[in-house]
This record gives sequence, C-alpha cells and structure tokens, in this order.
Amino acid sequence: MYRKKIETKIIFIIVTLFFIAFLFTPLIVLLINSLNSGNGIGFSNYYSVVHNSEFLTAIGNSLKVSIITAVITTVLAFILAYAVNCTKIFSPIKNMIKIGISIPMLLPTITYGFVIIYSFGKQGLLTKFFGRELFEIYGFNGLLTGYVMYTLPSAFLLINNSFEYIDKKFIIVSKLMGDNFFRSFINTIFRPLIGTLGGAFVLSFILSFTDFGIPASVGGTYSVISTQLYEVMLGSIPNFNGGAAIAILMLIPAVFGVLFLNYLERFNFNYDKFTKIELCKNKFRDISFAVVSVSTVIGIMLIFLVMFIAPFVKNYPYDMSFTSKLFKDTLLSRDILDVYENSFLVAIISAIIGTVTCYIAAIINARSNLNKKVKLTMDIFSMITNTVPGMVLGLAYLMLFNKSDLKGTFTIIIICNIVHFFTTPYLMAKNSLSKMNPAWETTGELMGDSWFKTIIRVIIPNSISTIVEMFGYYFINSMVTISAIIFLVSARTSVLTSKINELQHFQQFNEVFVLSILIFSTNICIKLGTDLVNKKIVNHK
Amino acid sequence: MLELKNITKKFDGKLILDKINLKIENGEIVSMLGPSGSGKTTLLNIILGITTMDSGSIIFNDVDISKVSMKERGFNIVFQDYALFPNLNAYKNIVYGLKNKSNLASREEIEGLIDFLELKPHIYKKIQALSGGQKQRVALARTLATKPKILLLDEPLSALDGVIKETIKQRIKDITREYKLTTIIVTHDPEEALTMADKVLIIDKGKISQYGTPKEVVHQPKNSFVEEFILRQLKIKRDNIYNLFGESYV
Repeated sequence: MYRKKIETKIIFIIVTLFFIAFLFTPLIVLLINSLNSGNGIGFSNYYSVVHNSEFLTAIGNSLKVSIITAVITTVLAFILAYAVNCTKIFSPIKNMIKIGISIPMLLPTITYGFVIIYSFGKQGLLTKFFGRELFEIYGFNGLLTGYVMYTLPSAFLLINNSFEYIDKKFIIVSKLMGDNFFRSFINTIFRPLIGTLGGAFVLSFILSFTDFGIPASVGGTYSVISTQLYEVMLGSIPNFNGGAAIAILMLIPAVFGVLFLNYLERFNFNYDKFTKIELCKNKFRDISFAVVSVSTVIGIMLIFLVMFIAPFVKNYPYDMSFTSKLFKDTLLSRDILDVYENSFLVAIISAIIGTVTCYIAAIINARSNLNKKVKLTMDIFSMITNTVPGMVLGLAYLMLFNKSDLKGTFTIIIICNIVHFFTTPYLMAKNSLSKMNPAWETTGELMGDSWFKTIIRVIIPNSISTIVEMFGYYFINSMVTISAIIFLVSARTSVLTSKINELQHFQQFNEVFVLSILIFSTNICIKLGTDLVNKKIVNHK
Repeated sequence: MLELKNITKKFDGKLILDKINLKIENGEIVSMLGPSGSGKTTLLNIILGITTMDSGSIIFNDVDISKVSMKERGFNIVFQDYALFPNLNAYKNIVYGLKNKSNLASREEIEGLIDFLELKPHIYKKIQALSGGQKQRVALARTLATKPKILLLDEPLSALDGVIKETIKQRIKDITREYKLTTIIVTHDPEEALTMADKVLIIDKGKISQYGTPKEVVHQPKNSFVEEFILRQLKIKRDNIYNLFGESYV
C-alpha cells in the first residue's frame, strides 16, 4: 500500500533520460570538444581564441551593442508599460500599443535585418520618405535598431506583467503625503519595479548577445560573436574545436545573466491583495506618454511595412506599380512550397511533443507525491534550457549527432526546438497545475479512477486553456527560430528561416520577404486560432 | 466495527499521534475534536489511507486493513473545500464514480440521493454557479454515490455561513441515519462536535484526551484540557445567548 505512484515514477525516468540524452550529453560533448586540440586535452583552443584579435573585436562589439540595446530597450519598454498601466490614455490606444508591440514576435529575427535594409538603405522606403539616409545601416546602427526591435516585445511583456501587480493606491497615498513627482515616482513605481527592470535589462542583453538572425542580415563587416561562431563552424575551413570554445564562451554571459535574474527576484515587491483604483487626471502626462509610445509602435510598424510592399511591385524601388506575379511565382515554385511544408511540419510536431513534454514535467513538479529532489530536478532542467543559447545548443547537437543516424533529420530539429523552448511553456503549465485543488487526484482515486484516468478526466480538462497557450508558444517560436537550427538543417530538411539565410547570399530579397510573409501569416493564424479557442473555453465556462 | 490499535505517527521526528486506541461501532457518528495541530486531520488521513502510520493497526469488521490501499478500503471522504471538478457540472460530478463501476448504484438510487439532498433544481449547473451549501451537498452526493463503508467528513461546515450551517448539520445527521453509515467528522468547533455526533473524540497533542458521548463530555470532563478549552467556550456561547433571549428561555 501507499506506494508512490508508479506512473509518475516512469514519467520522471522518461523525462530525465530525455534531458540526459538531449541536453546534458550534448553540452558535455561540446565542453570536451572545446578542450580537445590536436595535442591532447587542454585550454589551447581557448588560448588561441582569446589571442585572436578578430575574435576579441567580435566579443567587444557584441558586448557593446548588446549593452546599449539593453539600456535603450529597458527604458523604452518601461515608458510603454507606464503608458499602458499608469496613465488615463484612451483604452483603444492602450490596446493598440499592447498588440502592436508584440507583432514583431511573429517574425524571425533574420527578417528584421532585411526590413531595416529595405527601410533605411540607400533606396529604402523610409529613406525616400525622409528624403535622405538617416544613418549607415550596416554594422552597429543596423544591429542596434534590429536588436531593440527584437528585444522590446519581450521586455515590454515582462515589465507590463509586473506593473499589473503593483498597487497603484500607493501613488495616491504618496501624493496625499505631499511627495513631489520625483519622490513619488521613485517610491511607488521605480522601487517596486527595480527587480523587473533589471530582469528586462538582462533579458534584452542575453537575447541580443546570442541572436544570429539580425547580424546575419544587417551585420555587414561589423563582426559579433554569433557570426564569428557561424563562420568558424560553417566557413571554408571549419574548426570544430575552436567553435566549441567560442560556444562555451558565449554560454558564460548567459549563465551570469540567469544567475543575476534569480538574484534580482528578491527585489520584487509582494503587495497583499489590492483593489483597482482610479488614477489621477494629468493631461500633460497622458499626452506626452501617448506621443512617445504611439510613435514607437508606429515606427516599428513602418519599418516592417516594406516587407508587404516590396514583393508586390514590379521592380522595387524603381517601378512601384502593383503586381502579384513575383509573389505567385515565388510561392508556386516547387522548392518554396516544400520548404514551407518542412517548416510547418517541424513547428507543429515540435509544438505537440513539446507541449506534452512540458506538461508531464510540470505534472511531476506540481502534482506528484515524489520527493522534493525529484521535483527540483524538473526546475533545474527548466533553468538550464533557459540558460543555453540556441546557437550553443545547436552546435552541441551538431557535435554529438554528427556521426549518428539523426544527422540531417527532422527529428533532430524537432528535439532541438523542444529543448530550446522548454522553459516558458513548462512554467506556464507548472503555474496552472499548482493552482488546482490538491485533492483532485485523491478524490478521483476514491471514485475508482486510476491515476492516469484522473489526469485525463479532470486535470487536463481544467488546464486546457494553458495547454492551448503552450502549443501556440511552441509553434510560433519553432516557426521563427534560426539560431538553434542553423547548424542542424540539411538540404533535405531546410526550413523557411534557413532558406531566408540562404537566399540572402544570392541577393534574392524579394523572395526573403515572401517567405517572411508566409511565416507571418501562418503565425497570425495560429495566434488568432489559439486566442479564439481560449475565448470559447472561457465563454463555455 | 472500526478499531484503531496503538496508532503512532511522526513527521520529521515530531510525534503527531501517540498510541491512539479507539473503537467505532457500525452506524455510529463520531466527531474528532481538537485544536489545529492536535493531529486530528492526520488521524483522519490514516483511516482514509492517504497517510502511512509508523506503527499500529486498523481493523475493520474483524479484518486487518492496515496494509490495504486507500482505493481498496472502500472508505470515502468529503474534503473541506469539496474538491469538486469544475470542468464537469453538478450531475456529472455526482455520477463521476459510476463511470468506473456502473453497477455501484442504480439510476433510482442516484435519483433518490439527489432528491434527498434537494439538488434537483441545480443538477445541470456549473460548479462555479453553485452556492457554498449547494457545493457541499453535491460533494456529499458524489461521495455517497460510491456507497462508502465509512464516510469521512473533513471540517464539513467550516466553509459555510450561519444559516446554511444548521440545515447542513441536520442533513448530515439525516443521511447517516437513512443510510446507516458509519461517519467520522473532523472539526475544531466544540459546538459542531457535540451537537452532530453520537460520540466525541477529543484529541490534544496527539493523544486522546477524552472519548465519550456528548453528555459525558459535558457533565464528566476528564481533564483540565476538556474543561478549559472545550467547555469554557460552550459556556461563554450559552451565556451570550441567554443574555440575548433573557433568562426565561433557560
């Protein structure tokens, strides 16, 4: 009697074996490779990497541009979140800000680079609009613009979420106590948010530091760590061990970042229950925040606008008359449809298996009677997957599976996606499962259910909307990712994002946009689809 | 008859239950009364079969069930927060167990149960749409539909407000008489314990302080704990009510 449920034990073993095989082993192999040089085990790879001036420049560039990105993004995201939460801006405008800012998330980062080129380049749409080139796009400026556009949505969502948990009554209290604007702001907004702002900074930094898509398109000769890694690995003379050393070096800031994020958590305020309160009127505040945030959102949209124009005109930018020929031709070429099919297949299978993996891992953590260490293991998997940048994971896979049957298969890409994006859906599931009544399984068992039956009859139906969200997250991210899979795709398994990377070498930018539109529309459909399903579920309740 | 022999339980080295010995006759209502942390809920969980005991044995109708799993024991519980399944409506919650064993109760029996608990008008409602008292009755019906050999109730009245409390109290008493169910009720409220049960088990710091009929507890308190913590509370309540209504009601 009183046996610990054998089912949860089996699931635990399966999940753990999965992560041993596809997270720990690849990373260990990567580490060994980085230590392995022609003359035995040692630090010689690191030595030669660190004494390579080209690499040092790249890492310096990466640090510089990522830190500046993180500063700008954090400030901008804060302003937008403040506008949404602490002003009396007309609520449709607030909604427009919220939705508009998250739209870029539906596109791969490599597209960001191309829309920047087509907007701000010599013949760019916005260049024409302003009558002159605003800045030199290739290199630092382009990267900075791209990184800010890329990191702003995530930083905004993070800060916006925290804003909702701040008790705005304190703003009133502070005013009644006679605080001036500055003191009131520091005490009621800045101090409670400081942990989150730090988090947004670190997040933006890590995202920019490890991104591959933006420098691949708009980096020019300004080399950064991710393009260095790509060149070392897939250039004319591949250097596996050197690449491994760079990957490990790339991992270091990410590790510090995640540790720092955990440290920052203690700065987060925990208000007791609070009720909503009317904000004070302040015309000046509302108008100025509305102007800044609306122009940010419109600015971002304008940059992406070119993507929907260029492929539909005869010869951008010289002959701007409408034609759908190019779009049709690109779409109907056998090659593109195959690649689209590949992408869709990879995304949907990653989403299904990934959701199941996260869900069962969360069940072990939140709803089993296994001991604490076992539960902690799941959290550790989640933390490590969160730390490892996509490129590092992809490279580790390449090294481990290069000589195996998995090389060049869809399976390896799908597994990589599942591991790479594990953290967020896992936390979603854990959050939802731990809020449920802890007695449901016992009740089910007393009613004659097996454990598995209660999961099917009660636990899953009560978390269905979370499951739908998890699915959407996995799908969209699998659809737009490039960094993790760039080392894993083969000619047979090429997906839309890797195809874009390939097309740019042939200067086929219109095709790049057509593929981006395909990704965008597919993701919009999935996003709207999941929202619709969840609305139905809520209404049904 | 349910017999507990020398039940002992420790959590992290701390003694929670210390050699509990107890007999409950079939069809009896017994309430377990004690302050929070006294071990009463642990004892309930041991009887139900969720929690293991360190030593001792449980005998039910002359069979040692100490090693029998929760599912096989055939007891059932209504949890304090009811643990109703929100994805199912009231009716589907009630017949939940019948999906596993359809021969457990006939259609008429279920109808009878629903009528008896006056749940007919609410039967197709969502759980979220039910009031506290209705939820309590649905949870009772769901548990009774599995025809438990012993019915366990964990703080059955704590989530209910004043008026509904008294009616549910009566309802529980009626059910146990009607179905001749051995019932164990855990509560921290002396008034509840003494007015609902045939026998009261008072637990303090993991030991049985007194076990007897409500009359015995009131008139022959065995020790100072019973007197100080159980009876004094009741006396204050009694005096307050007398004050309100006037001495003529004595």
